[in-house]
Order: sequence, then C-alpha cells, then structure tokens
Amino acid sequence: MENPLSLEPLFHIGPVAISAPVVVTWGIMAGLGLFAFLATRRLKMLPGKTQTILELFVSVIDDQIRDTMQRDPGPFRSLIGTIFGFVLIANWCALIPGIEPPTAHLETDAALAVMVLVATIYYGIKGRGLKGYLATFAEPSWVMIPLNIVEQITRTFSLVVRLFGNVMSGVFVVGIVLSLAGLFVPIPLMALDLLTGAVQAYIFAVLATVFIGAAVGDDLPEPSQQTEASKP
Amino acid sequence: MSFDWWTFGLQTVNAVVLVWLLARFLFRPVAGIIAERQAAAHAALDQAQADRAAAAEALAETQKAKDALAADRATLITEARAEADRQKQQILAEARADADKARADAAADLDRQRAAETQHWHAEAATLAVDISARLLDQLPGGARAVDFVPGLIDAVSKLPKATQDRIGTEGPAIVRSAKPLTGDEQALVADQLQATLGRAVPLTFITDDSLIAGLELDTPHAVVRNTFRSDLDRIAGRIAPDD
Repeated sequence: MENPLSLEPLFHIGPVAISAPVVVTWGIMAGLGLFAFLATRRLKMLPGKTQTILELFVSVIDDQIRDTMQRDPGPFRSLIGTIFGFVLIANWCALIPGIEPPTAHLETDAALAVMVLVATIYYGIKGRGLKGYLATFAEPSWVMIPLNIVEQITRTFSLVVRLFGNVMSGVFVVGIVLSLAGLFVPIPLMALDLLTGAVQAYIFAVLATVFIGAAVGDDLPEPSQQTEASKP
Repeated sequence: MSFDWWTFGLQTVNAVVLVWLLARFLFRPVAGIIAERQAAAHAALDQAQADRAAAAEALAETQKAKDALAADRATLITEARAEADRQKQQILAEARADADKARADAAADLDRQRAAETQHWHAEAATLAVDISARLLDQLPGGARAVDFVPGLIDAVSKLPKATQDRIGTEGPAIVRSAKPLTGDEQALVADQLQATLGRAVPLTFITDDSLIAGLELDTPHAVVRNTFRSDLDRIAGRIAPDD
C-alpha cells in the first residue's frame, strides 16, 4: 500500500511536476465547469428540476452567508459556494475506486486555506480600508497585536490541518481496512467518509465565512439589502 | 511527509480558476434568475397592489355612484309621489266636481221630469175631469137649457169694449154656436137681447157644435164671447194645469 502522505508526480510539464491531486482537481474543475455551463444555459422563470436544485443550492449558500455575516451575500457567494462545492466533491472522490481525494493532500488544503486568508485580507481592507483593517489587529489593545497576527496564521493553519486530517485519515483507514479485510468490509467506513466529507466541507465553508465576516466588520450596509436582489 | 510546492501553487491557481468558473457559469446566472424572479414577483405584487387599489377606488366610485343613484331615485320617488298625490287630488277634485255637476244635472233633470210628469198628469187629470163632466152633463135629462146661458152671454158682450161692440155684425153676420139646435124662440131671445145690449140689430147665424156641451158662443171676426161648459171646463182645466 502506498503511503498516503507521499506525493509522487504523475508527469511533468516542463519543470512543473503534475501530481495526482492536481489532475483530479482538473477533472473536478472540468466536470463542475461543464455541468454549470450546461445547467445554466437555459435558465427559465419557471424552473425545471435541475434549475430548482441549483437555485436551492445558491439560496442555501446565500442564507448561510447572510445568517453568519449579517450582510448582502452577493460579493461572497462565489468564493464561499465554490469552496463548499469543491471541498464536498473532492472529499467524495474517495468513493471512486482508484481516485484519491485532492483534499487528502496537504497542498490542496493549504491552497484553499491560503485563498481564504487572502480573501479575508482583501475583503477586510475593502470593507474597513487599509488603516481600519490593520487597526483590527490592535483590538481590544495594542498588546494583542502579536497574538492577533499569530491568530491569523494559526486559524489558517487549523483550516488546513482540520480538513487534511479528517479526509486523509478516512482514506488511510479505508485503505488499511481494505488491505486487511474483504471487498465489502470498508463500505460502512466509506459511508462514514461521505458524512465526514460533507461535514468538513460545511465546516470549511462556514469558517471561511466567519473569518471573512469578522474581517469585513460592521461598516458595510446592513441587511436592508438582504431582501433586495443579490448581485452575483 | 513532504510538501510539494508545485502542487500547492497549481492547486491555488486551480482554486482561483474554479472560483471564476463557477462564478461565471453557475452563481452569477442562477443568482441572476433568482433576482429576476424576485423582481418579477415584486412587480407582480406591486401590480396586484395597484390593481387592488384601483379596484378599491373603482369600488368606492361605484358605491358613490350607487349612493347618488339611490338618492336620485329617492328624490324621483318623492317627486313622483308628490306629483301623483297632486294629480290624484286634482283628479278627485275634478271627479268630485263632475259628480256634483252630474248630480246637479240629474237632480235638475229629475225635477224637470217630475214637473213634466206633474204637468202631464195634471193635464191628464184635467182632461179626464172635463171628459167626466162632459159625460155627466150629457147624461142630464133634457140637457142644459140654452136660454139659461143667454143672460151670461149678453152680460159678457156688454163688458166688451165699445169699439168691439160696435164692430159686432158689421162685417157679416155674427155666428152663434150652441151645443144643440136652438129653437126659434131661443134664437129670437138671443137676437133681442143682443139688440137691446148693442142698441142695434145684429145679423146672426146659428150653428150647432156638440163640443160645446152646453151654452152659447158668439163668434165675430174681432171677438169671441163664450158662455159654454166647454169654455168653463177648459178654463178650469187651465187652472188645474196652469203651465200647460
């Protein structure tokens, strides 16, 4: 059995080593992009089944952002929704034989966490201004500046480790059980992986929302906009 | 455990690209159609609100018009009733006047008829009385004597105006009518009495007329002197039915 912590390149494009998580991610991107393109080609005022599911998904994301951040979900919808959808699909890739979830590798989780960190800084500066955003590090006192800086790093690191640990452990356990027992023995563990994958995707997306919402603060217009049409 | 920085970089780029892809092909269109539907729903609600307001306004207008119609109707009914009462009173007055007039006319007609009936029956009664008297006189044995009527006749002639007396017998013989033929003595008595009264002899012609019943009648072109039962009965009948 291969070590799940090891990452061997599948091929190289020039000096760039292409590993399995990257290829799987490309596959997920292609699948999601193609599905989104096909599903949203002919949106109608009276939705069909697929459109209804998509609208439900978007509405749930919007409600989650609105409940957490108490503001218009429009500017954050794509980021939060993409994180949730990608992490969920990536986690559930473990069900396909021969495919290892990209989120079971530290590089993918780190990339997502870094993206959340950058988005937090971006929306924080956009919402409060550079000075205002930096001032948040001195809250409630300038003494807290080092701790707040460390908190930014550690909570990003916690995002990485939480997702990586849960998904990697699931894959690892299933692999061990599969190597020791019969074909159908890992099925309960795989079902547990489904639940774990969904929960981890939800936790990752909610934490990203909380981090961004905390960075944005209360300076943006309040939810009088919540009832208005959200801009994508 | 190792960390592949190439994989990290590629996954970072992949995540960013995926965010763009899904924003472009999933979230933006879906959120757009949701917003469009919400806008349509709001527009429909606003339109429904406006329609409801318009309907309420139209209802109020209709109610107002209905109230106005009811008021007009009440006014018209009141006026019509007043006009009907007026016409009724007028018709009643006219009918009452017509009835009074008809009643007065009927009473007048009745009075006239009653008077006519009275006159008629008075005349009938007079005629009957005269007839009865005449029949009774006819049944007297020997009838009434003509000589008994001569004094009355002469007396009546003597009461005539002098001019009338002078013209008696001047334009032809005077006619002496009697109910029964006069005897020679009776004719002489009449001639003598007239001569004595008028102072001259008067030519006489004696004629018998049963209708006189009894008595004498002197008939000249200028005067008629009657002393007969017929003339008496006619006078009596005239008094009984004075208007006839």
